Amino acid sequence: MARHQRRVGYGLPLLLAIALHLGILVISVIRFPAAEQEPPNRSIVQATLVSTETATDRAQRAEEAKSAAQAAKQAEEEAARQQAEEEARQAERERQAQQAEKQAAEAEAREAARQVAEQASEEAERRAAEAEREAERQRQAEEEARRQREAEEQRQREAEEQRQREAEVQRQREAEEQRQREAEEQRQREAEEQRQREAEEQRQREAEEQRQREAEEQRQREAEEQRQREAEEQRQREAEAERQRQAEEQRQREAEAERQRQAEEQRRREAEAERQRQAEEQRRREEAASRAAEAAQQGLDQAIAGESESVANSAQAEEAANGFINLVRQAVEQAWAIPPNVTGNATAEIRVRLGPSGELFAASIGRSSGDSAFDRSALQAVRAAAPFAELRELPSSVQRQYREFNLRFKPGDIR
Amino acid sequence: MNDAMSIPHLIINASGVVQAVMLLLLLGSLLSWVVIFQRTFVMRRARNAHRRFEDRFWSGVDLNELYRETPSEQETLGAEHIFRAGFREFNRLLPKTRSPQAILDGVQRSMRVAWSREEDRLNLHLVFLATVASSSPYIGLFGTVWGIMGSFQSLSMAQQATLATVAPWIAEALIATAMGLFAAIPAVIFYNRLSAESSRLLGKYEDFAEEFHSILHRNLQGRGDAAAG
Repeated sequence: MARHQRRVGYGLPLLLAIALHLGILVISVIRFPAAEQEPPNRSIVQATLVSTETATDRAQRAEEAKSAAQAAKQAEEEAARQQAEEEARQAERERQAQQAEKQAAEAEAREAARQVAEQASEEAERRAAEAEREAERQRQAEEEARRQREAEEQRQREAEEQRQREAEVQRQREAEEQRQREAEEQRQREAEEQRQREAEEQRQREAEEQRQREAEEQRQREAEEQRQREAEEQRQREAEAERQRQAEEQRQREAEAERQRQAEEQRRREAEAERQRQAEEQRRREEAASRAAEAAQQGLDQAIAGESESVANSAQAEEAANGFINLVRQAVEQAWAIPPNVTGNATAEIRVRLGPSGELFAASIGRSSGDSAFDRSALQAVRAAAPFAELRELPSSVQRQYREFNLRFKPGDIR
Repeated sequence: MNDAMSIPHLIINASGVVQAVMLLLLLGSLLSWVVIFQRTFVMRRARNAHRRFEDRFWSGVDLNELYRETPSEQETLGAEHIFRAGFREFNRLLPKTRSPQAILDGVQRSMRVAWSREEDRLNLHLVFLATVASSSPYIGLFGTVWGIMGSFQSLSMAQQATLATVAPWIAEALIATAMGLFAAIPAVIFYNRLSAESSRLLGKYEDFAEEFHSILHRNLQGRGDAAAG
């Protein structure tokens, strides 16, 4: 009967409890890896300076700017010169125009005087005829004539004065022209003298060169002659010696061996001396070469030292800048909250502009990742991480360089 | 959520105190479930046995026969236990005294003892369940508080307070609370259910004891009348 096995043991419940817990554990373990498809929450910011310039580049740019400024200055100067020349030319033209005007006025005045005179003479003739015709009014006519004569005289006097004045003006003008001409001549003369002097100098120089060349040639010729003479003497001497030797050989066949030995020794000694001389020359040449090499080496060393100094400077600046970049990267990374559902290879570039003390002036999206939420989160991270007071700790030479930089945001697993 | 934030990873990376709390809670949960299963089985068997015994008892069988069906050395449970205790006492007292009141008093006493034993048997370990149900939330809360303390300590060392530096600590601290609740909730539910069932069974046993007592009383009245007559 069932009553006989009523006692309930603990084995089965224990098994059941363990199975239950294991089941729950397995469910929790299995479900969470399934949920792992969600993107990782924590990511790294890859802050890379994109707009960094090397020191040498900057120097080059400065040079370029300087040369550009110089060119601009030159152009300005040239323009100013041209303008001045133009002005001068214009002034001259004006002067010429004035002169022409004056001449024209003169000619006109002369013509007018002539006309006036002619008219007056005609009138006088007519009046004389009238006087003759009108005998009654002779006195009046005479008087009139006298008055007319007086007027004429007056007019003549005036005309004369006018002429004198004109002549004076003419003279003055002529004198001026004369002066100008003289000045021009003077200038021409001076230019000619200059040219003559230069030509003379040229000639003198040429003559000197000619003389030098001749002297050199002379010297060469003399040296050659000397050499030839020496060679001839040598040859004569050798021939004599040969002859003597032959005679001696003929005469003293017995002592030949001895003499040969002596000659051999002599030759050996000579050869040795020759070798020594050659060795010495070799040494001298080597020394010169080594000296030249040393000089070159020193130049190279100096160049290298300068280069290395500049490299060290730039390296120091770069180190400080790297520290700054690391700090910025860390700050931005900590402030960054990545939105969910971001693909792993989304990359956004944020252009950051800083004030002189590290405060944020502007942050804009340089290159969008295509995901606006991601871009916004990156912007917010930069804004939250500002201000970057570490900028003030940078050397002032580099500070300006890092006032503006780009930050690249890229989600990825930190662990 | 990545692997770093999964529950097993968080448990493994938790601090020592929090890990101990978690272990305690796991043990409590395991034991409470053992108790739950065992008590459930016990209750079901007791219920079935009681139904069977009542059917048999009220089927009109002779009580002496019913008593003799089960060997005396075998331990009986539930209503049968009460019946056997009462009937044995009745049979022992019947030849010794003529007073029906004394016999009924003895029978009632022995049945009360048997009932008390049954109550003790049915309520066994239910107290443990109650303890787990009431204490494990507090234990879990302790683990959480400890973990959050650690998280704030680590926060004080960090340069900048972000959610990313605090989040793992708080997550693993909250796991302790979750485990406490995980252990407490079934314990509470099953404690209530099992204790209700146990009291219902005990009530049934009491009813049976009263009925049996009345049967014996009727018997004694008849016998007393017969003896007197």
